[in-house]
Amino acid sequence: MAKQMGFGTYGIKHLEVMGAHDADTIHTNSLYLLEHMGIKVVSDEGLALLKEAGAEVDEATRVARIPSYLVTEALKRCKRPVKMCARNPKNDFVLDGKHSYLCTDGTGLATIDLHTGERRPSTKQDVADSAKIVDYLEKANSYNPLVTPLEVPNHAHALHEFEAIFNNCEKHVTTGSTYQKEEAKYELKMAAAIVGGYKELKRRPIISCLTCTSSPMVLGRTTDAAIEYVRAGCPPMMMCMPLIGATSPMTVAGAVLVGNAQVLALMTVCQLAAPGAPVCYSTEPMAMDVQTGVFEGLYPAANLVRAAHVQMARHYKIPIFVGGWGSCSKLPDVQAGYEKTLSAMTYYLSGADITSGIGLLENWTVLSYEQLLIDYEIYTMIADMVKGFPVTDDSMALELIMKVGHEGHYLGQKHTLDHFREMWQPMVTDGTVYQAWKAGGSKSAVDHAREKAKEILKTHEVPPLPDDIKKELSVIVSDAEKNLPH
Amino acid sequence: MAEDKQAILSELENSVKTLRQEDAENATRRALAAGVSPVEAIEKGLARGIREVGEKFSRKEMFVVELIYAAEIMSSAIKILEPELKKSAEKRHVLAHVVLGTVAGDIHDIGKNLVRIMLEANGFEVHDVGKDAPTDKFVSTAKEVGATIVGASSLMTTTVMGQKQVGDALRAASINASYMIGGAAATEAWAKEIGAVYSGDAGSAVDAAKLLVGKGV
Repeated sequence: MAKQMGFGTYGIKHLEVMGAHDADTIHTNSLYLLEHMGIKVVSDEGLALLKEAGAEVDEATRVARIPSYLVTEALKRCKRPVKMCARNPKNDFVLDGKHSYLCTDGTGLATIDLHTGERRPSTKQDVADSAKIVDYLEKANSYNPLVTPLEVPNHAHALHEFEAIFNNCEKHVTTGSTYQKEEAKYELKMAAAIVGGYKELKRRPIISCLTCTSSPMVLGRTTDAAIEYVRAGCPPMMMCMPLIGATSPMTVAGAVLVGNAQVLALMTVCQLAAPGAPVCYSTEPMAMDVQTGVFEGLYPAANLVRAAHVQMARHYKIPIFVGGWGSCSKLPDVQAGYEKTLSAMTYYLSGADITSGIGLLENWTVLSYEQLLIDYEIYTMIADMVKGFPVTDDSMALELIMKVGHEGHYLGQKHTLDHFREMWQPMVTDGTVYQAWKAGGSKSAVDHAREKAKEILKTHEVPPLPDDIKKELSVIVSDAEKNLPH
Repeated sequence: MAEDKQAILSELENSVKTLRQEDAENATRRALAAGVSPVEAIEKGLARGIREVGEKFSRKEMFVVELIYAAEIMSSAIKILEPELKKSAEKRHVLAHVVLGTVAGDIHDIGKNLVRIMLEANGFEVHDVGKDAPTDKFVSTAKEVGATIVGASSLMTTTVMGQKQVGDALRAASINASYMIGGAAATEAWAKEIGAVYSGDAGSAVDAAKLLVGKGV
């Protein structure tokens, strides 16, 4: 079983940003929007499924008015727990509402080169290298393409990403975003090749996909991809991405409502396509700099919308994948540190099942290997806190306190020896005293992270795929290059 | 018999290395019963174990908690050996006598204790004057034991002047010992200013002490 964050193992409580009554109102108003305003459905199959099930469809505008009972019935069919399997079964994990997990951020277009420090277009090698690092990081559970390779034919980029990932990482894979049906089919074909067929893939879904709805109130062509995934038994992360003030109202509650209604609509389509299929709620709202109109990922309002969506997903008992603990910073610096920590801590305290957050800068567009390891460090610190702590005879150590007495210390005690390994330990955080720090070259956490990334790439080995499967993947990629629309 | 003795000495060494207190105590009793001399039990058994723990601690392969626990094991084993040690004519081989303490006004002694453990593991006899130790205590103890080295620790910037006072007092009393300082408040520059030898951690304190007694590597 993969490493997990045991939220509330010892009694810590989830953070709720809305009262129970407010969450109910968001739900009721979401149903109202879907039934009275309806949602525009660009996907032919999505529209047909809704119409057949009883939605009132306007063929000219492609708007489907979805009766509340359809949504309610679909919600009942959503299953938890959701299995997230991996190329190597030791990395399997389960979204059960009791534990939290970690996925990489996605999907950038540029990379800050690990060796030169220059910001350059990202490559397939960056996908391979960052996937290898994620394979090494014990508590990172899923890889979402941190960057997309710009040197490969654009229409088949997702398949090239898959090839680079599967050859370098034995963990679960979540797609950066699957835009169309044909792409989804090739992705599923690659995953099936690895596990030994589609039947086995349904039993062991080693991939999941991000499928974005569009704000306000549209289900785009990505819906087709979600339908392919649910039919294959691989969970789609049904994502809403309201841009606060632009594609949703300027208020937090308005953005929560629009996003929630869209997710419910896609969820309904997915459950009509494959009743009982595993699905995840997903959210990645963005906030606007009201002075310039530029969209920044993680202003406080966007964090609140995410936390509210976590609360809604928990209310529905559907796992939630929270997208991006982004930063607008261009460097792995103090700003990146506080933006990412504040957002990640908020999501995990709220009870997010999984978040994609490690590795990117500039609002999810630029990979920094240093930031990848720093973000992982943030995660391990959060994981150490949110599990809480036990209050038992052994952990309170009443007798020991009396034995050690006044002015003594606990360093030489068996109890200390028995428990010290439970203490969080840094990977890149600098904890040395000044003299040692100076003597070691005055290195910052960023310097340590750079060295660690280089060390992992040099020393970590990922068991190779069998030759025939490797070849099969490569053939599928070539096929996709030929056959995908472009 | 010889083999048994060797096996017991190995067990003494290993039980300290692997932090098994009861096993260390049992092996110590077995050593006495088998006629191993207490000095041999320490030097060829227990001390080898703690030296290795100390080296691993310096290389960051073991943790401070483990080092201190190993020292606790060692001292509980030595307690068992003590009655025999007193009777025996054989003396432990001592590299040098060191007086060690935390200066007046400062009660932080964990770092000082680490230095003591590491020095003892490496053959120094340490006379610990404790924490918040008056300057006179450093001087009188150094005189009494004929110290080759005196070490003073200070964690707080408010007590760091105490290190200068100890150095001055040693010179005023014409004590012919090398003077070492350490602790979070001390620096290389400060050591130079007050005529002392500086070390930044317990491992380098041992290296410095060895150099001072001409046993440096």
